[in-house]
Amino acid sequence: MSQSTTINIKDQILNGIVKENTIFKLALSLCPSIAVTNNLKNGVLMGIAVLFVQVMVNITISLLRNVIQPKVRLPIFMLVISGWVTVTDMTMAATVPDVYKQMGLYIQLIVAFASILARAEMFASKNKFIPSMADGIGMGIGFLFALTVISFFRELLGKGSLWGMPIVHTKPVLMFILPAGGFFAVGILMAFFNWIDARYMKKSSHAAH
Amino acid sequence: MTGKDIVKITLNLVVIYVIGGLILALVYATASPVIFKNNEKAKQEALKQLMPDADAINKVGDWAPHEKHAEYFVAKKGDETLGYVVQSFGKGYSSYIDTLIAVDKDYTVRKINILHHAETPGLGDEIELDYFKDRLKGKDIDHLKVMKTETTEYVEAISGATISSRAVTEDAVKNGVNFLIKTVKEGGSGNVSEHHN
Repeated sequence: MSQSTTINIKDQILNGIVKENTIFKLALSLCPSIAVTNNLKNGVLMGIAVLFVQVMVNITISLLRNVIQPKVRLPIFMLVISGWVTVTDMTMAATVPDVYKQMGLYIQLIVAFASILARAEMFASKNKFIPSMADGIGMGIGFLFALTVISFFRELLGKGSLWGMPIVHTKPVLMFILPAGGFFAVGILMAFFNWIDARYMKKSSHAAH
Repeated sequence: MTGKDIVKITLNLVVIYVIGGLILALVYATASPVIFKNNEKAKQEALKQLMPDADAINKVGDWAPHEKHAEYFVAKKGDETLGYVVQSFGKGYSSYIDTLIAVDKDYTVRKINILHHAETPGLGDEIELDYFKDRLKGKDIDHLKVMKTETTEYVEAISGATISSRAVTEDAVKNGVNFLIKTVKEGGSGNVSEHHN
């Protein structure tokens, strides 16, 4: 019994990272994935903020799922999301002002994230506490992973540095830190991950025969 | 949908929103005094950084560059006036750049600090970095001019971010220094404390 639950949790977490990766597979929340990924630090900090809010929102929605009237679920989801974002925002501003100075802008942006509302609607409102938490963790880590990869390449190619520290000393391709380069980076990485996926799927289906 | 359903749904929404509102109010009431204190502390520290040898930096009055609220200060060590600090705004590429400028008694720039901006990350945001801020050091009002070529007499632009460089140098800093000269130097024969607005 406990064996099967652990496997489910693991699957649920992996699902968000690989099979239903917010950016590379579901193509949700592409706006922030381009807007904040022109350097590695921004990408990682944004990813962490989303991970936290996603888990808390999933937990809250899952606990409230039997109380919420289905007809008014969307306004209630929005309240839960904006509530958690505001609480996180104010708590961080009061307790860790130095970190907040770096992350404050991104936390407020999370209110408008399609991916968080999507998980509340598609998963947390229909599932129990533990799977919903696992789904939030998986989705959040998947998002963090995607932002990290995108911002890693954009900063390296566009600025020749990583986390603000110079790495390459040749003239960087400035385009990559501008919005146009963001579209390129997301597009190329999305194609790459889908290609890997297609190959892997082909192989595993061959093995099955 | 019957009338009973409507009542049920309305109650559901109202109860959840009231609870949510109460939680937010509670968090706000606890956090906001701390946030206010943090901001004040950060401001004092920013002032102190600009004038490390001053033992008191006191507010003199307010002014309104670009119709925004800004303050100016006098830095003293004992009874001696070391210089002034003025807050100013410059219109940049995608934002107003909030700047603190410290000047000596002869109104040359001692040091500047960028408090807030939303310039292009990777390009315009280099105005925050020391290499650019140092280019304004020791410049008087006649030398606060941006050049696209290599120069030490004037201020050299950040490559790829001329607009942001101009906004800081020729808008925020120049206006701030100009304001100090007009109000403090020409207005009150050196005695700043008369200039409360």
